[in-house]
Amino acid sequence: MTELALQASLAGTLAAQAPVIPLLVALSTAILALGTRVYPRAQQGVSLLGAGAYGVAVLFLAVRVTAEGRLVYQVSDWAAPFGITLVADALSVLMLGLAAVVSLAALVYSLEFVDQRDQRLAYHPLYHLMVVGVTGAFLTGDIFNLFVWFEVMLMSSYVLVVFYSGPAQTRAALLYTVLNLLGSAVMLLAIGGLYATIGTLNMADMARRLADPAAFGIDPAPVLGLSAVLLTVFALKAGIVPFQFWVPAAYRAAPAPVTAMLAGVVKKVGIYAIVRLYFMVFAAATVPVSFPGIGGQGFLAFFGPVLFVMAAASIFLGGFGAVWQDDMDGLLAYSSIGQIGFVVLPLAVAATVPDLRALGVAAALVYAVNHGLAKSLLFLVSGAVRTATGTCELPKLGGLSEHDRVLSAAFFVGGLALVGIPPLTGFFGKFLVFDVAGRAGSTLGLAVALGGAILTIAYVTRAWNQAFWGRPTDYVIGASRNGVLVGVTVVLAVSVVALGVGFDPLVGAANAAAEAALDVDAYVEAVDPDRFVPSDTGSGGHGGGGE
Amino acid sequence: MTEFVLALALGTLFAVGTFLVLRRDVVRVVWGVVIISQSANVYLVTVGFGATGAGTAPVLGHGGGAASTVDPLVQALVLTAIVIGFGTTAFALVLTYRVYEEQGTIDMRGLSFLDDDAPPRVGDGETAREVSDD
Repeated sequence: MTELALQASLAGTLAAQAPVIPLLVALSTAILALGTRVYPRAQQGVSLLGAGAYGVAVLFLAVRVTAEGRLVYQVSDWAAPFGITLVADALSVLMLGLAAVVSLAALVYSLEFVDQRDQRLAYHPLYHLMVVGVTGAFLTGDIFNLFVWFEVMLMSSYVLVVFYSGPAQTRAALLYTVLNLLGSAVMLLAIGGLYATIGTLNMADMARRLADPAAFGIDPAPVLGLSAVLLTVFALKAGIVPFQFWVPAAYRAAPAPVTAMLAGVVKKVGIYAIVRLYFMVFAAATVPVSFPGIGGQGFLAFFGPVLFVMAAASIFLGGFGAVWQDDMDGLLAYSSIGQIGFVVLPLAVAATVPDLRALGVAAALVYAVNHGLAKSLLFLVSGAVRTATGTCELPKLGGLSEHDRVLSAAFFVGGLALVGIPPLTGFFGKFLVFDVAGRAGSTLGLAVALGGAILTIAYVTRAWNQAFWGRPTDYVIGASRNGVLVGVTVVLAVSVVALGVGFDPLVGAANAAAEAALDVDAYVEAVDPDRFVPSDTGSGGHGGGGE
Repeated sequence: MTEFVLALALGTLFAVGTFLVLRRDVVRVVWGVVIISQSANVYLVTVGFGATGAGTAPVLGHGGGAASTVDPLVQALVLTAIVIGFGTTAFALVLTYRVYEEQGTIDMRGLSFLDDDAPPRVGDGETAREVSDD
């Protein structure tokens, strides 16, 4: 009896701690990997087990969140607006799930891909610290902590970008580091300004105060300016035009599994922050906005056109850039800029048209998950091709489909997912983007999406034709094959197909995430029940977000 | 008056930082970044003065003395930012040294781009050695 009670209380404690478990798992793995570095085999084992345990922790959290809605963890039991809060809701869980899948796949890949001696140095601890930063950023409910988690994530990524430490890598890392340091300074300025104007750092508390600015003596105009400054930082992290220039060099310099993480997960942290802050926290505020043709009351009416211009520029710059590239990594890096435009496009529509808000955010999330899986798959294929043949330049490759059918099939699946062929996830992502633009009646939006889709077909076809079809070149004929690398890409390719064929869970998760992201009231109530006031008093039609 | 002086000092710091970031010399760029992040920290401290524009350190009011204190939270934030800045500055300086070691120059325009034909691990052999004289 007592044993049962003990077990029940243990399970209860574990359940209450659910949001913090993924963080602790990743952090302990990083520390253990650092401690075991004199024993390379043990270190690799620890690292692998840690990545698996991280997946289990995220799964556990996902189950709890599905069962109970929002989970709130007040660090050290300091109550909400003053202490640090971790919040896990459907949005965080969806992004964490993506992180868990990509990080596990990329880690297994890197055990084989990264030189054994290099792995011993610092690879595993840094890799897991990057996961810690990503996890923290997805879970935090406090805007200053978002800055801290960004720094945790970036500091490890600086080192991972310069990992091979050749002249070109140091140059790319220098550009990446300097830009992100400037971004951090700007983020600090914006956060300081927001604290000075709003008087709080807790996201729920910010949303509560912004919904009724008069009661708290907040002037919304400076808040709008500061949130615009903050947007540049998130755009920099996500690699959205005009803050994309570091992307190609950094993605080409980093080892393939790290690039898969950067493109698949780290980029999405910027997107997550945009959804969380602009669609939930700042959406509560009202300020008159008037553009030529567009007017409105909310911050989102201002950010809608801004995001649209950024999305359109990303789609075209990334698309044309990719078409011109002569090497596979460069092509994929530019494609990554273009694809992030497809993620931002429905967000822009969602911001402009309140009726489509939930649908637009869900479309963006589906596309983000699709891109996360497909692009990391393609970067891993590119790494495997380079390991096998010694080059990634398209003119030097050819006939890979004869030499390695399995690897080629994996690339084919990833490429088709980018293009958006049914029944892959990419199809549903693209379909939802078109659907959202169509429902909004935005001819311009449809034109941009169509142009981007055509460019995607162009560069994927070009990469396929040049590298995988045709007569095998000398590079390809002499190529060796690495089963582990190919195996990982096959697993990812199968997951892309499986998620596309069984699309319901993904779309369900994305819809739940969009709902969770837009439901300000529920968020505020969960985080800070003592101060929660139902929104029909202050926030007008904006509190619910979903309208 | 204090506000005016602070605003002027902050403006100057940001201007100096921006000027340095735009130089061709990598070391100066790093110094520029350092100055800009420190200006952000100073700015954050000024936030603590709030609307009153006055106040003393919270510790001075400990015995129940001074009533008007600055916001201690921003000072905690600045401390965090300083620690993070310290680490990143060290890394940026090491990176600068590494750039000099590998490329033989710290001129931004002389640095070589990623040349793809090279395998992932690039040797130290031929690198751009265009040392410019300004």
